[in-house]
Amino acid sequence: MTGQALLWGTLYALPIFVRSDFLLTIFIFTFIYGILAVTFDLIFGFTGQLTMFHPAVFGVSAYMTHLLAVHSGLPFWAATLPSAAAAVVLAVVVGSICFKFRLKTFYFAVVTLAFAEMIRLGVMNWNSVTNGTLGLVVAGKPTIYWPGSGVVPIKGPIAWYYLTLVCLSVTALLCGLVLRSWMGRCFAAIRLNEDLARTLGVNVYRYKLLSFAIGNALASFAGGLYGYYTGYIDPGYLGINQSMEVLAMVLLGGQGTLTGPIVGSLVLTGLPHAIDLRAELRAVLYGAILIFTILVMPRGIVGTLNAWRSRRVS
Amino acid sequence: MFLEVRGLTKRFSGLVAVADVSFTVAHGEIIGIIGPNGSGKTTLLSMMAGLLAPTSGSVLWKGREIHRLRPDIIAGLGVVKTFQSPQVFAELSVFENVRVASHLRLKRELGLRRGLEVLGAARDVEHRLAERVGEVLALCNLGGATQQLAGNLSYGEEKMLGIAMALMCEPELLLLDEPASGLGRDEVRNLEAVLDKVHAAGTTLCVVDHKIGFLRGLADRVIALNYGQKIAEGPPEDVLNVPAVIEAYLGAGHARA
Amino acid sequence: MTQLVLGQILNGAIIGAMYGIIALGITLTFGITGIVNFALGEFMMIGAYATYALAERGLPYPVAVVPACLIAAAAGYLSNKAFFRFTRNNLVNGLLVSIGLISIFESAAMLLWTATPVEMHFVLPGALRVGDIGLPKMKLVVFAVIVAVIVATYLGLARTWLGRAAFAYAQNPEAAMLMGVHTPRLETAVMLYSTGLAGLGGALYASLYSLEPAMGGVYVIKGMEAAILGGIGSLMGSLWGGVILGVIEGVGSIFLPTAFRDAYGLAVLVAILLFRPAGLFGDE
Repeated sequence: MTGQALLWGTLYALPIFVRSDFLLTIFIFTFIYGILAVTFDLIFGFTGQLTMFHPAVFGVSAYMTHLLAVHSGLPFWAATLPSAAAAVVLAVVVGSICFKFRLKTFYFAVVTLAFAEMIRLGVMNWNSVTNGTLGLVVAGKPTIYWPGSGVVPIKGPIAWYYLTLVCLSVTALLCGLVLRSWMGRCFAAIRLNEDLARTLGVNVYRYKLLSFAIGNALASFAGGLYGYYTGYIDPGYLGINQSMEVLAMVLLGGQGTLTGPIVGSLVLTGLPHAIDLRAELRAVLYGAILIFTILVMPRGIVGTLNAWRSRRVS
Repeated sequence: MFLEVRGLTKRFSGLVAVADVSFTVAHGEIIGIIGPNGSGKTTLLSMMAGLLAPTSGSVLWKGREIHRLRPDIIAGLGVVKTFQSPQVFAELSVFENVRVASHLRLKRELGLRRGLEVLGAARDVEHRLAERVGEVLALCNLGGATQQLAGNLSYGEEKMLGIAMALMCEPELLLLDEPASGLGRDEVRNLEAVLDKVHAAGTTLCVVDHKIGFLRGLADRVIALNYGQKIAEGPPEDVLNVPAVIEAYLGAGHARA
Repeated sequence: MTQLVLGQILNGAIIGAMYGIIALGITLTFGITGIVNFALGEFMMIGAYATYALAERGLPYPVAVVPACLIAAAAGYLSNKAFFRFTRNNLVNGLLVSIGLISIFESAAMLLWTATPVEMHFVLPGALRVGDIGLPKMKLVVFAVIVAVIVATYLGLARTWLGRAAFAYAQNPEAAMLMGVHTPRLETAVMLYSTGLAGLGGALYASLYSLEPAMGGVYVIKGMEAAILGGIGSLMGSLWGGVILGVIEGVGSIFLPTAFRDAYGLAVLVAILLFRPAGLFGDE
């Protein structure tokens, strides 16, 4: 509990102490990736399904949010909702196929990867809509209602910082609610002993699908945010690299915890950029951090901290 | 007729594990199923619980065919099975293990409204369920171990936990697969006491075991299997004196004596 | 038309054999040591670039291949000694280590050769003419080498003690363990073989196609697909799975848009997995 308070408190108070726009920008990316990492952990760390489908909903949502806003004049937030709905539809279609055929860990990962790749290829080649590999430029800005000033566009690092932080907080809150409830218990049961869960009356298929749908739906918001923040969308967003990065964040930070993925995102997004290195050397550092973590902290940062703390108490 | 097994057969590409077995279970009975290793007892039980699809034959529960239904649906209908080698959720505490099993009861109480529970709308139901978990654990003599990780329990405790989880599902018919195997004498006595209490509370029991002594004192009626076939049925003392049964367990020489 | 189809089949078979080599390496490593070497594609990349670098220095191609394989195998040995052996039976850690190594190796290659694709000068120019059809000589040579590798692997698995142990372990880990199979020597042997083989694949690849630092990543994914297609429990199956995958992609792109090349293999993979989860040659 104190760990959580410390984390969120620090993050919310940060812009008071940190003036550098560059550092704030790093945090913004950390938060957006954090959304992906937390929702990924919902499916992987808590329900035990290694999904490679995140890049698909991330990318599709990025495109959809922008295209809807541009072609039907919807404001940013209104446009994210149909995108999330699309993410749910995709997740349900892919998930029902995978879970119906009882695909386990490894096979599930590969099939979700296969579907994600097929969607990526589709996006990449649908030139009329997505402009193919050239990508799309996003000129719009999300707007919020600010009491006193009316509807205000989000501009500048500080505004984006808090916007993305709030989105991350809401995501973590929602996931936390789900996980603390009987739904979360079912997820854990499925992860630990699927056959036993079944004999105790848990409809394993339904809850796997539920976890998959919720995780992907929430992840889709990250896509919209990312597209609008960077001002650019291209099919590379749907590539497998993102899956690898998100997986690494969750494993590094601690799977099966809510704060772990966020910590993981902080370390893997933030650290390499905070240290001034050439791009290639940064990648080497990234790899070194990963390897170091497994050898020294196999349960991830937060996981190891938790274990250490409970050992201290007893 | 509570449960009816009709001509149940299971074939595994050439090997016949269960051959045309039929019997009935009446409400409130304790039925024992005995047989040497490999006689098909576990396979039979698995088919009754929906974990295995029969090659032919049927299982009827309160007049309704259940052998083609999913295990979780069958559990919801009131038939719950425990496992021979104890199955638990190793990373969760004993309390949490049984709480998972409260899922069925939650479903029965709240139905579709349980979605709201995520937002904290059904606190009182959750509270009552938690109390019930404590009761079940106390019944199974696991009250002292509630916070222990299930993975750290002894073999006997794990088996009791399996039974506790099954009980939390509020079964009308409890199928027990070799509950006494691997248990020491004290633990077996503990198990008998628990099963007595469960039976007294109204649950029908169907117990598979190859410890004859254990079933002799417990069961009203015993069914003997050998090589997948039913070879005898009746009160324990009668069945245990049937030559074919003795032969199955001890070999042909003893039957003659 | 036949020229096109045959050409694509040959191409597909060669590329597919590369997938198969990676698939075999992953299956073998995981089956025997319980280690997930998701970075195997990088050893292929090492073999490829090493061959390129040595050839640029003046070493004739066939000679350059040998040290390239050895370098790849050495890198594999070191990776195992330093990192992989700590991740035995831990899928998640193995993935993490692999991701880390991929990052490191890829960046190292980028530092040394930049991201610009490089190509070897034509090793064996010219084509063999059979009737109307012309098949590039180098491709035929590579194909022949690959066939030889497959045969050698099969014989090695079936005839040598090490091979039989590996085979037995992959088929039935419990029985094999009772035979006293799981020893550090077997683990080292498997690591050396899988990475060396990947290096050989890379060396062969270098003679035909252009190289770039990220090539390892793509091949690992395809290798995974091939391993699953062939059936996780089956060693020879992974090789065949790779070849089949390669041919499907090659032939598929004749009749359907090339842009979706990757999708054909994927679609077939998904279809097969759904209806035959054990893969084409696996047993469950």
